[in-house]
Amino acid sequence: MKPEDLSRDEILMFLNTPDLDAQLSAMLDECTAALCKAAQPRTIYRVLPVVHNGNGVTLGGLPLLGEDIALHLTGCTEAVLLAATLSAPVDALIRRAEVTDMTKAVMLDAAAGAAIERVCNDLEAEIRTKYSYPYYTARFSAGYGDFPITQQGDLVKLLDAPRRIGLTVTAAQTLLPLKSVTAVMGMSFEPVRDARRFGCGKTCAECPYQETCPMKKLKD
Amino acid sequence: MNFRTLLLDEFVFLDGGMGTMLHLAPGELPERLNLTEPARVAAVHKAYAEAGSQVVYANTFGANPLKLAGTGIDAAESIQAAVRLAKNAVGEGVCVALDIGPTGQLLPPAGQMTFEAAYDSFRVMCEAGAAAGADLVVIETMSDLLETKAALLAAKEHTDLPIIVTMTFTENGRTFTGCPISAAAITLEGLGASAIGINCSLGPKEILPMMQELAKWTSLPLIAKPNAGLPDPVTGEYFLSPEDFAEFMPMYADSGVQLFGGCCGTTPDFIRAVRKRLGSVRRSRRTIQRQAAVCSGTRTVLMDMPRIIGERINPTGKKRMKQALLDHDFDYLRSEAISQTESGADILDVNVGTPGINEAEVLPQAVQAILEVTDLPLQLDSSDPAALEAALRIYPGKPIVNSVNGKAESLATVLPLVKHYGASIVGLTLDENGIPQTAAERFCIGKRILDEAQKLGIPKEDVYLDCLTLTASTGANGPAETLSAVRRVREELELQTVLGVSNISFGLPNRPLINRNFLCMALQNGLTLPIMNPMAEGMTDTVRAFRMLSGFDPNCENFIAAYQDTGTAAAAPVQNSTLTLEGAVIRGLRQDAARLTQEALETHEALTVVNDMLIPALDTVGADYESGKVFLPQLIQAATAAQSAFGVIKASMTAQDGDADKGKIVIATVQGDVHDIGKNIVRLLLENYGYDVIDLGKDVPPQKIVDAAIENQVKLVGLSALMTTTVGAMEETIKLLNTQYPECKTVVGGAVLTADYAETINADCYAKDAKATVDFAKNIFG
Repeated sequence: MKPEDLSRDEILMFLNTPDLDAQLSAMLDECTAALCKAAQPRTIYRVLPVVHNGNGVTLGGLPLLGEDIALHLTGCTEAVLLAATLSAPVDALIRRAEVTDMTKAVMLDAAAGAAIERVCNDLEAEIRTKYSYPYYTARFSAGYGDFPITQQGDLVKLLDAPRRIGLTVTAAQTLLPLKSVTAVMGMSFEPVRDARRFGCGKTCAECPYQETCPMKKLKD
Repeated sequence: MNFRTLLLDEFVFLDGGMGTMLHLAPGELPERLNLTEPARVAAVHKAYAEAGSQVVYANTFGANPLKLAGTGIDAAESIQAAVRLAKNAVGEGVCVALDIGPTGQLLPPAGQMTFEAAYDSFRVMCEAGAAAGADLVVIETMSDLLETKAALLAAKEHTDLPIIVTMTFTENGRTFTGCPISAAAITLEGLGASAIGINCSLGPKEILPMMQELAKWTSLPLIAKPNAGLPDPVTGEYFLSPEDFAEFMPMYADSGVQLFGGCCGTTPDFIRAVRKRLGSVRRSRRTIQRQAAVCSGTRTVLMDMPRIIGERINPTGKKRMKQALLDHDFDYLRSEAISQTESGADILDVNVGTPGINEAEVLPQAVQAILEVTDLPLQLDSSDPAALEAALRIYPGKPIVNSVNGKAESLATVLPLVKHYGASIVGLTLDENGIPQTAAERFCIGKRILDEAQKLGIPKEDVYLDCLTLTASTGANGPAETLSAVRRVREELELQTVLGVSNISFGLPNRPLINRNFLCMALQNGLTLPIMNPMAEGMTDTVRAFRMLSGFDPNCENFIAAYQDTGTAAAAPVQNSTLTLEGAVIRGLRQDAARLTQEALETHEALTVVNDMLIPALDTVGADYESGKVFLPQLIQAATAAQSAFGVIKASMTAQDGDADKGKIVIATVQGDVHDIGKNIVRLLLENYGYDVIDLGKDVPPQKIVDAAIENQVKLVGLSALMTTTVGAMEETIKLLNTQYPECKTVVGGAVLTADYAETINADCYAKDAKATVDFAKNIFG
């Protein structure tokens, strides 16, 4: 992973700042380089059948809870379940910075956010070239809308992620290593209903967090 | 069949994949089949036995109580059924192993599952497996060295069975948690595994070089259980044929591998093919040059040259460290660990012994905190065997224990711990008669310690001797006797030698000069492990120069790497005469802020500097942040600069201390949550404003927060939660606080919270950011 792979705008967005002065900018460059050096991106995905029934939707036999994910996968007969992680050394790097220099910690954290986004985007691009579906939904993660984050463990298990990429889930359903993502991306022969907004995978109109969303605030 | 007898054979054949053979339907749990469809599982064992497997793994890989929680399957019941059905299926001639896989959760420092929770779950498995008659315990597919250790200790402490261990590595030669092959090897051998090796993740081609590496680090029998090649990334299917798989095995035998099997994607045909291919092959007999080495979970340090043991984490004579330990302020220990690591230490000594501290409780906590920020191996330093054992249990890797001495009682209590946990040991050359004057007497005690250690089965290379540095001011011959003893231990016993270097100058002027020269003399006389302050002027430099001049640094590479940037790196911060302290804080200039504070203290009272310079500067930044003139990075940068200013002020105030604190606040990230960064920003800002912050860290149980609030009589508790799943713990904490300590106020924050939600869980204040927390604190404390 190289610093130029990361979107500076996105890092600034995570930092909740429109720009940085020269001194902080140099520090951000240093942090981005350190982050890229520490990151060991690992990904895994499976293409699984989607079944809509009266109560909602199942993915590879696993019932996905909530109305939003069912709505999201409208018109899809298959979906990609994917997971990505920057791996444990990134967590260690940020932990160290939290002790020595909080500004760097926040910058590393933001850069890691951009990095995992990049890893997911690359994986998504790879998947899109591999399959013949013309339409894909945005990536939808447990925790979006009413798709409960308590399903994180089921998703990780379905991917055999601990063994395959070292991605685990704690009892409170936190992904560890921390800088990790799981997501569901529907595949369809029909145009899909959602439109991508600001990289989060949701349309703002339907998002319960639109009031507080830093991405929306910044782009508005 | 006795597994230990099997190990007398040229080769031992294990089985192949279980999941592959069971053809599981989606959602079907293999552990349930032991109870519902035993015949289906038995058929797999039978097929492997017929193919020539001499050891079959019972279908218990995932039968861990933690993993089976919520499935309705009782782990012990499933395990007993699995072992019994396997024994019935394969008969007397084949060994049945209790198979233990990972829990699927991570332990510290990467994760948050406790050692005890992991250990207990493995204990349940081991007891069930042993009761059902398993012939051995297999621990496999492990990534996390501490989890592996928990399983190994559970097996060792609750069964008498042989234990074999295989871990799983990625292409870079490390596990997912970053554990290198060397660290796995020396830790598992130390803990008493009967054989170790590699399984899963990769195919025979990729694992071969790793096996060759592993063979260099252990004299134990080696195990290879590769996958049937690399899986298709999407379907997860394997494509290597049994014959192609078997074709690699003679190369494994050449590396000394004795136990052969397969993992994912392999079938009885693979075992048959491997047996056939190895028919007339002999395995190579390795001659291992045993070397002293220690490790953490992510780094191995080989004693192939003088190595620096950093001495800074020790309260003796250090007021600030003492206070940090009494306050449970592990961030101070962490920062000392980081600075020593960056200054060139190879190993860190950890000593928490000070009055008012329960070492058995605090030493393991300190070890865990330090390992969160450094990957250096640790030296556990205590005279309390209970503290040593508590730390040895949760240490991920092979540590050094400091220390044992020649007294009978010390030998009897410390050495068994060292043996049980597979550590290295520092032996102090003193005994019931005190510290001998002469080198000859110290040598004798050292020899006795070595003999006693070896009697218990502690390998010679794991015994390091400290011939004791006494201050040069007490007697003319002191230093010479110490150096002579070091030389004899190194030359005659060929052991690693340890000395606390700076003791030499105690009570004398110009201590740094004496320390540097004594260090150099000691190195020349065979000192291999100086315990010293790596940040002290010239000390690390001396070791680096010694290594280079003594041929330990081929082409002077490390020396050049350490010093080539000296000219530029040392450039002082630009002296700006117009810069004020306020300006330095506002602009986030850390070094300038510290320097200007020092200057301001020459002409002003400390409180004046705080109230008239630092606080107004912080207020300016805070107001600019709120009005959108500056943003989060600038705010934190200013806070960090202010922090360095407060550091200078604190140091100057130790005498007439007590006035600066505006009030005590307990803060914590609630139970279950490990996202700590927001809470840490809050802490930084609160400290800036002079509050005494008791930071309980992350994943803190409700009762612990309430107890800390009551114990410290705080007026305010701050709680952080980042996940919808952990907001519940926040609510519970507030409820508990309101019942047990209702006069205390609460302020909450975190990504998923809103003002409305904060109200429904009865928080007194919702803080949208760190600045808002400070504002609320000002309200409370006035």
